[in-house]
Amino acid sequence: MTLAAQTLRDRTAVCGVGLMIGEFPDRTPLSLAVEAYHRALDDAGMKRKDIDGIMTLSMGPDYDRFLEAAGTDVRYANQGWHHGRFIAPMVQHAAMVVANGLAKTVAIIHGRRRRAFGQVSEHEMWRQGLGPHGESPAYGALSPVLGAALAAQRYFHMYGGGNEDLAPIAVAFRKHARLNPHAVRHAPMSIEDYLKSRWIVEPLRLFDCCQNNDNAACMIITSAERARDCAKPPVHISGMQGVHAGPQFHNLTLPGLGVAQQRVYKYTPTKEDLYSYQMAGITQKDVDALITYDAFSPLVLFGLERFGFCGPGEAREFVKNGRIELGGELPINTSGGLLSEGHAVGWNLHIEAVRQLRHECGERQVKDAKIIQYASFLGESVIYRR
Amino acid sequence: MQPSQQMIDNETGRYLPVIYPEELPYWEGARKRQLVLQCCKGCGKAWYPIGPACPRCFSMDFEWKQMSGRGKIHNYVIYHKAWTPWFQKRVPYAVVQVELEEGPRLTTNLLDCPVGEVKIGMPVEVAYEDIPGDITLVQFRRAAR
Repeated sequence: MTLAAQTLRDRTAVCGVGLMIGEFPDRTPLSLAVEAYHRALDDAGMKRKDIDGIMTLSMGPDYDRFLEAAGTDVRYANQGWHHGRFIAPMVQHAAMVVANGLAKTVAIIHGRRRRAFGQVSEHEMWRQGLGPHGESPAYGALSPVLGAALAAQRYFHMYGGGNEDLAPIAVAFRKHARLNPHAVRHAPMSIEDYLKSRWIVEPLRLFDCCQNNDNAACMIITSAERARDCAKPPVHISGMQGVHAGPQFHNLTLPGLGVAQQRVYKYTPTKEDLYSYQMAGITQKDVDALITYDAFSPLVLFGLERFGFCGPGEAREFVKNGRIELGGELPINTSGGLLSEGHAVGWNLHIEAVRQLRHECGERQVKDAKIIQYASFLGESVIYRR
Repeated sequence: MQPSQQMIDNETGRYLPVIYPEELPYWEGARKRQLVLQCCKGCGKAWYPIGPACPRCFSMDFEWKQMSGRGKIHNYVIYHKAWTPWFQKRVPYAVVQVELEEGPRLTTNLLDCPVGEVKIGMPVEVAYEDIPGDITLVQFRRAAR
């Protein structure tokens, strides 16, 4: 980590959030995005004129059309690529823009319909030159689940265990979702229910795959100073690190698992791999709850090992016996995550971190939560502090 | 052969590979029942996926060479869900990642092998499957003993 990066600690904060998850068959992605923006502004106690930076994602409304619809002019606009792994970097980008004075307050806005004109369900498969993730339609290697299934298979091959080791993850997140009135999947789920769910791509079952749905989200990021004047307690951005990418970080896997052209070895993070802790001045032990990208359940194992919460191959034992449930040693994805709250690309994960740190989560509140880390298997992290 | 951007065979509904101009030697090789990959003229190694430079030494000077066709199953998954009608008669089927003797790993299917018998480490050899559009897919099957 560079000295310059260290100066970002607690300089910015999340001051407003808005989230919609569910089915909105009569709405356009633009309409959902505008409503999420409304909600986040209200949440922050801000007006449109307070926003001078905006970031949007592909596959939702284009930034220009959004700003036209919202009647907002800004001095910093950016449009990113719609991808779960690029959510944390957008939050980071907004924080860096604010910390460096390019804009005072940045709203990140996203709206998406699962099935809507211009949003082909096959898009994921065809984009980026036909399968950057090794998806290869001619071989029937279809859908994003492929990457997670390949990685899980290698993980079990290297460390033992099997599909049943993923059950505690799906079950824990469903328990959390049942305490979240906004969650999409509410039905009770036992280990037995999980084991009875149908195979999708073996070794993954239906309940290892996230719930896809319509969604919209907005996060507003401003300086720590300005955030103190907002309606809700500021949630500081204390530490961050980027998505690690390249042949060793293929798609939905952990380094060392040997998916596609990855080398095969037991991955243990070095200090250099964990610089967000250094930036925030904390260690894993200070994290009150972990939020991790869970489009597919094996990613939770990989996130835990990527950030050194346990050693290589140990995550499948770590997640057992309620340790990752509310009230456990390290609650994970307290909203239910993508698996059970619903798929808002990853925005719902960050928004849950914010809500937990404001202590507004009701039945699913992590008691006295002070530090919550978003940390995912590709190495991206945002450490939020109350 | 010609490059192709036809993603689906209209008659059968089968997905087809997109064939980029720079990949033509690979597809022409498959048509002739040969597995050819790019080999670096600097370090001599073969690489995959097909790309403009050697990922090891970054040289753009390469030649297409025939591989041994021998390898082993490095990884596999079993598809139970049929994403399109074409797959409905074919599930469950395996998607495998084969590690060639020369090093690169290819993602293919395993022909003539019940899904319950696929194992990591299983020796395999290259096979070829003719599909619509005068295209041949590189595939694998269990190595003859």
